[in-house]
Amino acid sequence: MSIKGLGKSLTIFLASLLMFACASNTEDQGPTETVVDQNDTEVVEDTGPSQEELERQANEAARQVRTIYFDFDDSTVKAKFQDLLRAHAWYLSRNPGVQVTIEGHCDERGTPEYNLALGERRGNSVKDILISYGVNSSQIRTVSYGEEKPANPAHNEEAWEENRRAILDYEG
Amino acid sequence: MRAVISMIKNKVVFLFLAIVCGFANAEIDIVITEGMSFARPIAVVPFQYEGLAEQPPHDMSTIIAADLRRSGRFNPMALSDLPEQPTRYEDVNLDKWKDEGIEAVVVGKIEQKTPGQFTVTYQLIDVFKPKQTLIDGELVSTNDYVLLDKIGSTNDKNFRFYSHQVADNIYEALTGQKGAFATRVAYVTVDRSLPQPYQLYMADSDGYNPIRIYSSTEAIMSPTWSPDGKSLAYVSFENGRSEIYLQQIYTGQRKMIAAFPGINSAPEFSPDGSKLALTLSKDGNAELYVLDLDTRKYRRLTRTGVNVIDTEPSFSPDGQHLVFTSDRGGRPQIYRISIHGGRAERITFEGEYNASANYTPDGKSIILVNRTNGVYHIAKQDVESGIMQVLTDTMLDESPSLAPNGSMVIYATIHNGRQVLAAVSTDGRFKARLPAKRGEVKAPAWSPFLVK
Repeated sequence: MSIKGLGKSLTIFLASLLMFACASNTEDQGPTETVVDQNDTEVVEDTGPSQEELERQANEAARQVRTIYFDFDDSTVKAKFQDLLRAHAWYLSRNPGVQVTIEGHCDERGTPEYNLALGERRGNSVKDILISYGVNSSQIRTVSYGEEKPANPAHNEEAWEENRRAILDYEG
Repeated sequence: MRAVISMIKNKVVFLFLAIVCGFANAEIDIVITEGMSFARPIAVVPFQYEGLAEQPPHDMSTIIAADLRRSGRFNPMALSDLPEQPTRYEDVNLDKWKDEGIEAVVVGKIEQKTPGQFTVTYQLIDVFKPKQTLIDGELVSTNDYVLLDKIGSTNDKNFRFYSHQVADNIYEALTGQKGAFATRVAYVTVDRSLPQPYQLYMADSDGYNPIRIYSSTEAIMSPTWSPDGKSLAYVSFENGRSEIYLQQIYTGQRKMIAAFPGINSAPEFSPDGSKLALTLSKDGNAELYVLDLDTRKYRRLTRTGVNVIDTEPSFSPDGQHLVFTSDRGGRPQIYRISIHGGRAERITFEGEYNASANYTPDGKSIILVNRTNGVYHIAKQDVESGIMQVLTDTMLDESPSLAPNGSMVIYATIHNGRQVLAAVSTDGRFKARLPAKRGEVKAPAWSPFLVK
């Protein structure tokens, strides 16, 4: 690796650290940092972004989404969240010191005690996929809130869709 | 401080003001929505008062009448319709009550000779029994028509709860079943506008005298009473995840019972109070455990393995079995297992989802949450025959808890976009809503009998 290349890697690493620090305080506020990072790269690199850089950018963009949603009474992860989870796994496996907490949540239908266990099963489904993508299990903690912490406290179909979720929380 | 009772099905609306003083206060009203057509007509005559103060601290006869009405078994006559207001059984004119179609009359008297101390005498009269009877061709006076003749005492502080005890005695004399008015209900309130949105309360069975047991910025779940009525076990998220706590109600003493990795959930006492059944996922998935409260030793009861949920354990009245919820067969259903473990037997087959089962005190039925065609209701299943009867017609019903005499189920439901408590008699005839003044209410737990 050339000096220039090392410098670039360092820049990316520092930038991603910065992003992580910001993102953990303000969920879904990532894009601002990504723009700064792109400008930085353009200055250092004359020949445009490398394949690795493009991959990094794509992963970082995908990783800004922290919530995945489930079907009613179901804890299997839908295929449409594959890219999202791969991006988180990419980040976690490159940053073995980083911990993520996966929160499992349910909608209010069904009994609260069964839902507490169902929320845990949702968290574990997400955890298993991250591990299958190469993340060390010691980096992942799961916690279930069952139906006790709804994103939307209303009692209707729309709220239930928002509440059946798992959240990847990097603060924990 | 207003009790509203509206009998929607009968298109009759009664409004009466319960005159209460000081700290006595109901955070939860009671709205009877169905079932008064089955209720027996009775009368509770206002108790005579002789004493130092202008009036006793609470209106005892009104409390008694409201209790009896709330049982769904009785329909006490409106005060304005009473044909007479006697205070001693000798003065009751049986014919006057017969003409009104009243079956039984309660009369009574409250005396206060010492400040704060009250003597209460009361009688229950069966209107259809004669005051005189023929013995050997002679007309002789008899007291057979007096079903209950009692004298007791209470004080300022216990006056209201004592009134419920009087109602319990009247209920038992009329039905043969022990009354459950002198009991309490624990429940969780959620008011997201408060700095501590989650609060654990207990109140008298009529919603009065709410006492806060615990409040938190994080969720509180699954309160359950110890059989001696002195403590509550519940789940608290105060450390960011589910943990089980045991709290003495009257001393406030509180200790952590279970905080293993994973979920710590669904505590339920054994009938003798020596053990706590609970759900832990420390070994991978949600499994049942029994904790011996003296030795602090855990015994694992189920071993279903990966990705199966076993939860919501509840003891049979003899303490020999537990019923619990398991999705080992795909969907949640109720299973039964010996307290010694071994093979669990599936006992529910109706509908796509059955959960949260509890035995009735006689052990003959289980009360549970049933989902059929996507609709959640409280249901009762006969243990012997397996026949299931849906009891409720409300929305998203959950967390059923039985009165200690098995007559009534209190549960959580959604009404007008809010989670509220509701009650249904175990025969499904009587239904009531218990709307709170503010916020949402859930996880009701009916206490055991508190008066021996």
